[in-house]
Amino acid sequence: MASSQHVLLSPAELAYLHASLSLTPPIRPDGRSPTQFRPLVAETGILPGTNGSARICFADGTEAIVGVKAEVERTAQRPGEETVFLEEGGGGDGDGDDDDDEEGETGAQGDRRKGEASWVEMTVEIPGLRDDDSGTAFLSAMLSEALLADGEFVKRLWINRRFHWKLYLDIILISPPLSYPLPLLSLTTHLALLSTRLPRLKSEGDEDPFFDDDWAAAPYLFPRSSSSSATAATNTTATKQPATATRPPITLLVMAFGNNIIFDPSKEELAVADVALAVSVTSSNSSSNSSGDGENDEAASAGGRSLRLLSIRTIDPPSRLTPPGVPNAANAAYGAAAALGTQKMLEARTAETEAVEGVWRAPRGGAKRMVLGALVQKTLERGGVVDEVLDALEGVDLG
Amino acid sequence: MPLDTSTYNLALLRVDGRRWNELRRVHAQIRTQAAADGSSYLEMGHTKVMCVVTGPSEPGPRRGGVAGGGSGGAGAGGAGGKAEVVVGIVIAGFSSVDRKRHGRGDKRTLELASTVANALAASLHTHLFPHSQINVSLHVLSQDGSLLAALINAATLACVDAGIPMTDYVAACTAGSTSTYAANDEGADPLLDLNHQEEQELPGLTVATLGESDRVAVLVCESRVQVSRLEGMLAVGVDGCKQMREILDRVVRDKGRRMIQEGTVEKGVGLDDMDVD
Repeated sequence: MASSQHVLLSPAELAYLHASLSLTPPIRPDGRSPTQFRPLVAETGILPGTNGSARICFADGTEAIVGVKAEVERTAQRPGEETVFLEEGGGGDGDGDDDDDEEGETGAQGDRRKGEASWVEMTVEIPGLRDDDSGTAFLSAMLSEALLADGEFVKRLWINRRFHWKLYLDIILISPPLSYPLPLLSLTTHLALLSTRLPRLKSEGDEDPFFDDDWAAAPYLFPRSSSSSATAATNTTATKQPATATRPPITLLVMAFGNNIIFDPSKEELAVADVALAVSVTSSNSSSNSSGDGENDEAASAGGRSLRLLSIRTIDPPSRLTPPGVPNAANAAYGAAAALGTQKMLEARTAETEAVEGVWRAPRGGAKRMVLGALVQKTLERGGVVDEVLDALEGVDLG
Repeated sequence: MPLDTSTYNLALLRVDGRRWNELRRVHAQIRTQAAADGSSYLEMGHTKVMCVVTGPSEPGPRRGGVAGGGSGGAGAGGAGGKAEVVVGIVIAGFSSVDRKRHGRGDKRTLELASTVANALAASLHTHLFPHSQINVSLHVLSQDGSLLAALINAATLACVDAGIPMTDYVAACTAGSTSTYAANDEGADPLLDLNHQEEQELPGLTVATLGESDRVAVLVCESRVQVSRLEGMLAVGVDGCKQMREILDRVVRDKGRRMIQEGTVEKGVGLDDMDVD
């Protein structure tokens, strides 16, 4: 879909753009550094009728809104697991009482809490495209893949053995798809999940779930690292969270031009990329750092975050679909080739396949393994782009 | 959950505490999105709608079933020498209280789209843009009654922002009656601007008028109501549309004034009557 959207650039312009992006250091059309993100406007909690919502406007004018709704759903029981449940049922009541010693608890609870990918339903709406459009389906698959990849996220939706939350994520692109909307949708989803709150559970064990009416007491699905220790003492659901405060995944686009690695491509840059990757990354603040409460937030956020790679997808850059430029020597319109004999025509054809300075030639063949490795490494670099983006998103006030 | 209408006669207050002739809080913004030709955001109570207008532009390649979700077209494209108004409505799954997936081919959404498209096509000067297309894409973020009215108002604002010449504002509003059809109450009062609860229970209609005139551009009534009550409802609705027009006009003027102050646009000839501080 949008990734293969044609930009209205001539082959000569494409070649110029590609050449300037291949320089060391690369020169981007908007003067950014290779790792610099475009400014964005973000807000959360825009829709009080949802469990969590967010809106992000990118500088290129694209805008997305994500709303999260949660419903309680009965977990399908499998006959084989029933006996195990009954055995553990006795111990389950005890768990509710001694919440204080978390260290011993988390291990046991972590094993018990299960999740299934079907507990999350994600829909992507792109104006002007059909529901079953391959591009939309691919986008939604990539976004949900990042969310479900490690199986940790769905465990948060566990209520007790008989019930779970069913989470509906509705992702709407408001603006027409001007550039490939994957990073926008991913960042908006990240923010919406950060702002998502589920009602506080009042019932214990495997009873029918019963929730607190007070929305102010509702814990966040992803408790903030600074406040998580405070809320953990008061509510029972927070104790279910693992000791590390993980964050929802983000998916970023990374491109390679020769040896240059460039983040956050604009539409024009993506159109000439050699390789474009969608890299999904999640972050977890390691428990060793968060245990030291005396540390200030900056140190915890900069040093304590460990990035984890969730998934990688190659994106077909539109450059593969751009028609190659024809050198003047071989261009019939210039009269050069018209009068030539077959011998010279053959030469002209070889000239077309060779790289000619200033003539656009679409990249051929797949990405080299070294390049892919470098792209991933650069993304996961400490203090790199992902850290910067996550810090920025964490700075958004959760309404 | 049936709406308790019995208390209305005691205090003459509706379920949300309004009088019969009061609009809900209306908040609107225009030029909410930098990339679009025209854009707007409108809240009527808890009904929240966003609108993005693209065009007038060359009609793109025809995809199957026209662009967008529930979409309706009005005005002949190309051949008739008039711009075609294509309206697409996306109702977000999270917009209602219970999450509901609205498919693209939803008949209700299609009808809303074609109503909005017809209303806009009649008031926009589409003959100035032959062989072109005006794309209006509406997003419903939250629903609490008077959806069609909110859609029409948002579309009007976005068209103003896009700078498409039009005869006047198309301002819409809903009107209802205090008792149900079955009650057959002759003395029922008309109500202005129904919310979701009232819309479920009471007869209601949506009316849109052209500017300050009494000319009705849209009139949709989907519920059973005695003919004798209709006139009162319509009169209240038209009155509400005038109030709505004032609100929309203020939004546009405020934005225009701010843009002149910021120097985004130069103060033009036609803007002399606007008092810019």
